[in-house]
Amino acid sequence: MPDSLLDKIGAELKRGLVQIAALSLLRERMYGYQLVKILSSGGLETEEGTLYPLLRRLEGQGLLVSEWDTEGARPRKYYRLTAEGSSALPRMEEAWAEISRSVTSILGRQVPALAQEGS
Amino acid sequence: MNARDETTIHRWLDEAAAAMGGDARRREEALRELEATIHERLEEVALGGAADGVPPDAAVRDVLDALGDPAEVGAAFMPMPALIEARHTRPFVLHTFIVFAIHFLLVIGATMAARPFEIPPVRLLPLANPRSLAEIFTRVLETLVFDAGLVLCAYLAFRRLGLLLRSPRGALAVLPDRRRCLEGAIFLALVLVVVNFFRDTLLALYLRDGDATARVPLVGPGILDNLLLFNLWLLCAVARDVGYLWRGERRVTIGIDLFAGSLGVFCLLRMVASERLIDLGRAQEALGPSADNLAALLNAAFTVLMLLGASALAVRLVRRLFRLALLRS
Repeated sequence: MPDSLLDKIGAELKRGLVQIAALSLLRERMYGYQLVKILSSGGLETEEGTLYPLLRRLEGQGLLVSEWDTEGARPRKYYRLTAEGSSALPRMEEAWAEISRSVTSILGRQVPALAQEGS
Repeated sequence: MNARDETTIHRWLDEAAAAMGGDARRREEALRELEATIHERLEEVALGGAADGVPPDAAVRDVLDALGDPAEVGAAFMPMPALIEARHTRPFVLHTFIVFAIHFLLVIGATMAARPFEIPPVRLLPLANPRSLAEIFTRVLETLVFDAGLVLCAYLAFRRLGLLLRSPRGALAVLPDRRRCLEGAIFLALVLVVVNFFRDTLLALYLRDGDATARVPLVGPGILDNLLLFNLWLLCAVARDVGYLWRGERRVTIGIDLFAGSLGVFCLLRMVASERLIDLGRAQEALGPSADNLAALLNAAFTVLMLLGASALAVRLVRRLFRLALLRS
């Protein structure tokens, strides 16, 4: 399988995860680039072109709220969870835990089966 | 950072902006955020660069390269909305075909009956020469383009309505911000002054007769009869803006806004109905028959203007009503 295809699949897998990771991090007030760096240092490398539209969409859905802080050396747009976002997050985490368990279980079952087929 | 770096950044941002969709305010906000990110990255590179020996000139180029192609970044930030979304293409084609089929059957019916079909506000004319292939082809093409446009408008209206219902709070804000509100109040106050004190100076014909110039005001009874209503509407709109600047968005502000909107729609429609917005009676003698053409042209232009204004106001009014319903709930 070519590397570019693998990269594409990896990016698709990551896209859904960035949403829940960003929401989880935004329990605390953060600006966009700060979020990019934290996500990247946590292994979820994300480009601004992916993250900002996502933040905008989540804001449109009422899960996030943003505000410009112009008091520092440079203006920064800060994001944080809304009350609606805070109540949605635990349910999303539960859903994620369930999916994670299911996928791990399916992968655990498939690998030995494939190995047996191969032999 | 030197002037050349600033120019490079602004050029990059301009390219990103050109690829962005959405309205001007959102684009401006997205660009501001993008610019802030560029400066964050630059600061970081500059801090690291001092140790790594990265020349400052190269830093800007590195940061922009790391962000990617400006057109791609811009499009990712604020995608250009397609006129018809990909998932709606098939239904759009189908609906256009259905509307076209009905439309053309009616044209055939009108041709067979040899008289136009009146389905207000639409008037379907019969084919003048049903045996002329060129005319049939032209009419098919014309009908198809018209119907596709009609269905497209319906799709866009439904999409707009869908957006409105999905995110009503943002979409229905009465006044976007204090700056726009202040601009609105100043503009309306100026219109009020111009209409009441300068209308006969600005909307007039100046006819030269030798050395003397005669001024012939053009403002017709359609405008003069509704002046009181017009003034009341503008005063209410100014009161709404002042109220907003003073106390922010309250029920009273929204109430005044609704009242002003209703008055505006009523006033503009009354003006349109009067059909005599421009009066060339007094210029008739000087201009002769050409005055009729000029009057017809000016009246048509004013009528279109009033109708556009009334439609825009009516749309705003419906939005305000939604907003009021939301506040009540």
